Amino acid sequence: MTIAIILVVAALVTLIVILTFTVSQGLQSSGRTGLATEIRPIDVAAFRNLVDPAEDDYLRRRLPASDFRLVRRERLRAMAAYVQLAKRNAAVLVRIAQNSTSAADAQTAEAARRLEDNAHLLQRNCTFAIMKIYIALAWPSSNLAAAPVLQGYAQLNNSAMLLGRLQNPAATMRI
Amino acid sequence: MLQAHSLLWHYLWVAPNILLLFLAFLLWRRGIREQYPIFFAFAIVGAIEQLVIYAADVIPTASPETWWRIFWVGLVVEGLLKFALLGEIFANVFASYSSLARLGKILTRGVGGVLTLAGAAAAAFAPKDSLFGIVSGAHLLEQTIYLIECGLLVTVFLFSAYFRLRPARPVFGIALGLGISSCFHLATWAVAANGELSESGRSVLDLLHMAAYHVCVLIWFYYLLAPQKVTAKAAVPLPENNLDVWNRELERLVH
Repeated sequence: MTIAIILVVAALVTLIVILTFTVSQGLQSSGRTGLATEIRPIDVAAFRNLVDPAEDDYLRRRLPASDFRLVRRERLRAMAAYVQLAKRNAAVLVRIAQNSTSAADAQTAEAARRLEDNAHLLQRNCTFAIMKIYIALAWPSSNLAAAPVLQGYAQLNNSAMLLGRLQNPAATMRI
Repeated sequence: MLQAHSLLWHYLWVAPNILLLFLAFLLWRRGIREQYPIFFAFAIVGAIEQLVIYAADVIPTASPETWWRIFWVGLVVEGLLKFALLGEIFANVFASYSSLARLGKILTRGVGGVLTLAGAAAAAFAPKDSLFGIVSGAHLLEQTIYLIECGLLVTVFLFSAYFRLRPARPVFGIALGLGISSCFHLATWAVAANGELSESGRSVLDLLHMAAYHVCVLIWFYYLLAPQKVTAKAAVPLPENNLDVWNRELERLVH
């Protein structure tokens, strides 16, 4: 009977997940304006400094091992905050792009599709980067590769800029 | 009313399958069949299979053993078709998102493998009935199929929610109907396979999952045949900013 209870609970949880997704899809499709204002700008220079392996090497050489681990953990936490913000921005851009994929202008629709694809790519990279960061938090001496996030972010920026120009030639979109 | 062979019981067993055949006919008439060939096959084969099982149940000359043999054949065919249908859902969901297709494929394969092991373990630990092995075996196979189906569907729903994917309306409808149906079936078959149920308890479970299936058929009708409401969306206002500067800076950082 224990197995039956476990499976009934699993079925119930699955049903809740499916129905929640269905309701959220309905709410999303009703559309929202002012999404662009939800994008939070990122200090890329600071982020670059955090992911720079040369900076880590420098700190490793200059600091005692215990101090290095402490500083490294602080840097990793800051890095995680940046990546979370990039992921959040990517999610907002997905919604902006989805609102424009059915645009009458073929060029705008194509730019929106490209933006959506790039935003998904960045979401994926951010997810993996966050996992890596949390693993690195456990082992602060390990090396961490965050390059795919930067690369994804640059691609996303290009796509967002193109879509912004097509929708409003006078203004561009900042991420 | 809530007994086997009551009017409600007959209705809930026959009506969804007649409706499903009618849906298949409408899909064929409207040319939607080509877009979702596995669902089309599932609708026809699944409905006919259920109607044959129903006929075997009400025909007095069919022995219980014959009924269970027919049930077994139907179960295996329907199980295979459902997994093919899941493949069609995944292919359609990920087809529009090239950047996520590979990750989705890896994830579903991994989850599928884990669920198969979990299904086998749940079946192995379920109580065995040596007297009516054909019955308990069918319950366990149903439980295993629905466990894998439920798990794969919840994976695709969670994946879509996480990445904010918007599957095409018919694909979403097929997945929604299949998901609701598999949840109810998993729960009812798990109780049937593992619990000591009275005759009336089994009848209530039967009616419950037949009613759920009826609702799912109506969901498929709605999502596959009702036209999508087109809402005019306001153009997204874009803020003034210095993206050019940011872009140059980012490119300098990446290269």
